[in-house]
Amino acid sequence: MAEEESQLEEFEQIDFLRDRHVRFFQRTLQVLPERYASLETTRLTVMFFAVSGLDVLDALDVIDRNNMIEWIYSLQVLPTEDQSNLSRCGFRGSSHIGIPYSVKGPGVLHPYDSGHVAMTYTGLTSLLILGDDLSRVNKQACLAGLKALQLEDGSFCAVPEGSENDIRFIYCAACICYMLDDWSGMDIQKAIEYIRGSMSYDNGFGQGAGLESHGGWTFCAIASLCLMGRLEEALSQRELDRIRRWCIMRQQSGFHGRPNKPVDTCYSFWVGATLELLDVFQYTNYEKNRNYILSTQDRLVGGFAKWPDSHPDPLHAYLGLCGLSLIGEPNLRKVHPALNITQRAFQHLQQLQQTWRDNAGTCT
Amino acid sequence: QHGRVKIKSTAQQEEEKRKEREKKLKIYVAARDACFSKRREGVWDDEALQLTQQLLSSNPDFATLWNYRREILLHLETVREEDELQKIYEAELSFLESCLKMNPKSYGSWHHRGWVSARLPRPDWARELSLCDRCLSLDDRNFHCWDYRRMVVKMSGVPVDQELQFTDRLIGSNFSNYSSWHYRSTLLPLLHPESPEPPSPCQQLLKEYELVQNAFFTDPNDQSAWFYYRWLLGRGVYVCVSLMVLHVREEERVVVAFSRPVNVSHFSWRNNYIISKNASVVIHIWNFVHFLTWTQICDLPPGTISDITNEHNLTVHWTEKHTHRDCALYTGRNESWCRDSATDQELFRSELSVEKTSVLQSELQSCNQLQELEPLNKWCLLTIILLMRALDPLGYEKETLAHFQTLKEVDSMRSAYYSDLCSKFMIENTILKMEYAEVRVFSISDKKLTTLCHLDQLLLVTHINLSSNLLQRLPPQFAMLQCLEVLEADNNCIENLEGLYHLPKLEEVYLKNNKISKLADLQPLVSCPKLKHLDLRGNPITETTNIQSELAELLPSVTDLLL
Repeated sequence: MAEEESQLEEFEQIDFLRDRHVRFFQRTLQVLPERYASLETTRLTVMFFAVSGLDVLDALDVIDRNNMIEWIYSLQVLPTEDQSNLSRCGFRGSSHIGIPYSVKGPGVLHPYDSGHVAMTYTGLTSLLILGDDLSRVNKQACLAGLKALQLEDGSFCAVPEGSENDIRFIYCAACICYMLDDWSGMDIQKAIEYIRGSMSYDNGFGQGAGLESHGGWTFCAIASLCLMGRLEEALSQRELDRIRRWCIMRQQSGFHGRPNKPVDTCYSFWVGATLELLDVFQYTNYEKNRNYILSTQDRLVGGFAKWPDSHPDPLHAYLGLCGLSLIGEPNLRKVHPALNITQRAFQHLQQLQQTWRDNAGTCT
Repeated sequence: QHGRVKIKSTAQQEEEKRKEREKKLKIYVAARDACFSKRREGVWDDEALQLTQQLLSSNPDFATLWNYRREILLHLETVREEDELQKIYEAELSFLESCLKMNPKSYGSWHHRGWVSARLPRPDWARELSLCDRCLSLDDRNFHCWDYRRMVVKMSGVPVDQELQFTDRLIGSNFSNYSSWHYRSTLLPLLHPESPEPPSPCQQLLKEYELVQNAFFTDPNDQSAWFYYRWLLGRGVYVCVSLMVLHVREEERVVVAFSRPVNVSHFSWRNNYIISKNASVVIHIWNFVHFLTWTQICDLPPGTISDITNEHNLTVHWTEKHTHRDCALYTGRNESWCRDSATDQELFRSELSVEKTSVLQSELQSCNQLQELEPLNKWCLLTIILLMRALDPLGYEKETLAHFQTLKEVDSMRSAYYSDLCSKFMIENTILKMEYAEVRVFSISDKKLTTLCHLDQLLLVTHINLSSNLLQRLPPQFAMLQCLEVLEADNNCIENLEGLYHLPKLEEVYLKNNKISKLADLQPLVSCPKLKHLDLRGNPITETTNIQSELAELLPSVTDLLL
């Protein structure tokens, strides 16, 4: 403990430019530059990075929360009058399909409109962060939409039309079920089998069976198992030790995602959070980690980039902050390592869930 | 969101860019709407192909458009001749190549290429393999490309040894190609499947060792080869769960301890049998432990075994594993036990024990050679430590500790992790020594212990000495030490005693010079009815006012209190 405190004193030398980061996220929520066009279909995730980033910075007061909440609800794919589209419900990424703006039901049937599992995940987390009580979320519809995405092998597709399927979407699904406090949206056992099958010879996790170990997928595997409450059941002590070893070897200064690859700011969160969930993050070197993250800080525009002297972007800006929060950077809110929202937002979720449980007895 | 280097631009350039953007946006929206109305009307024509192509060129991750394209192509399959289809699909592959050139990591593009390749009337797998080669030569870590290659290999039936040769070439030209080693690890088991019996190492495997050794002798700092090596040495290790049964007359109970958490329903007893039903219901035996249980306690009906002149036979059946243990409580004896010993089980054998001792020894020799040439290489040191533990943990104890010391200096960034690992190995060695000596005293003081583990192996211990270490807490699993009478833990940093509960025989606790700070910290001890002696000198709690009287109230059984 004493060692950490003296490390913190040395930290002051590289300064953390809080205000620049606040402005960076504010701009992200306004107009995005052209090179982000390819992210239009996933715009809700970009909003999540900005909103959660501001939450970590304790700066949510700079934005118009109500407006944002309304926009998110306009992205909810609601059931139609005849409920024929339940398996397509959830949240969409943006208005790119061209559905008319509406924040309440019934849903409009459009043959190519459907929820996307990552958008449902970031939609729900963003609503929580902004203080919403999820009362306008059609939970049963979301869960029905989620269930429709799981395949025989336990993995999930992103959309009901079909897409690639892998462990990322299992993570999204686990978060959704956890937040809605309802695991009927997925077959947990099958998902666990897929996750186990994705473990590679070096005990990292790949995107699926036979695929190369990667820090991001390892996070998805471990965080999902933690959210399900099955970590020690699904993995033996020996396996957990080896996973710890693989992860801890990812630190070079900051962290990289795979051996012999350069370090990248976002892995300070992906691998860092995994180590935290496995109870060994305390054995990493905080100073080197911090120095790397801050070397990718953009002193003019704010935000963080994956490498020094590169353009910052919302994903790395957000995950860089989360990485700093894990090591205890002062004036940053603590982040829940599995759900990837602040502990403050997490407590809000817990209170909501308590209310739901209390009402469950009285509700018809 | 890839790393992009910064370039500056003037205000005029900005304005021009803005105008261009607006124009592009109008075109984009028009094209998108046209696409959707066509799709809605069920139109699947060349114009639709063109429109989607236009849109996908700027945004290859617009999944809906790839889906529409697939619908169009499926429709065309029903109305066009095979030769025409071949041309159409080949054109598709060209289009995809240009998409991939622009963005080699687009999920949508790779996924679509896979779909097309599977539907092509006359697939040209050689062409696909050469695409992969080109792509990998630009970025040999592009896992999309590796995955695609695996699919091509599977669909076209390329034999495994040919692919192994492919990895030979890649590894030969660049040992650091982690993806190649990884691919190799998936191919090798196809040729040489793992089996429960240790195989005599065949030619292929010995050559494999040679290959890896070449790699790490050439570049000892590249971790790819070391991880692969560790995997090679440890293939096919099967871990079984061991259990220990303790039969105690005075408390009229049976304790069953497992070496890993297991999911069991409540134990029931019938005549002299106790059978685990292993249903899906889990019950909480302890208040504070995880919901998976390490230890199951069964209290027998009063009077069942209390008469010391009687002999009682006990059998514990573990139906899930089709195994049982017998434990007879003889006349005049107060307790008896039955255990799978750690030495017999080779429970602590590190992951490397599947190969014959001779192979491990020769590998250790090679690594030692390398270590002389590269004394500061952490991978080598770590591997040597693991090989030593696999061969002879007690015999190599001194060398192991010395290597850990070097390792912590050489890779100081991870020194806390190595301390943790070293603690674990020292505990394992102490358990082995205890078993060889056939005593029930566990003593591991002044060994810089930072953590406790394998507590499931200490069910029979009566005395434990953990003094002069760096421990901060006694974890919940500590409650498994059901026979514990004396706990010595002076001179640590202990602030948390959550594991010291429900210990029926615990009489003496020594916690001098620790970090116990408040009365609540001692709450667990309330459930230890035989506690008489408690030494709390040198703890912050002694500064608390009225501590003497508060402790008297909390722990009335304690007669010797040292503050």
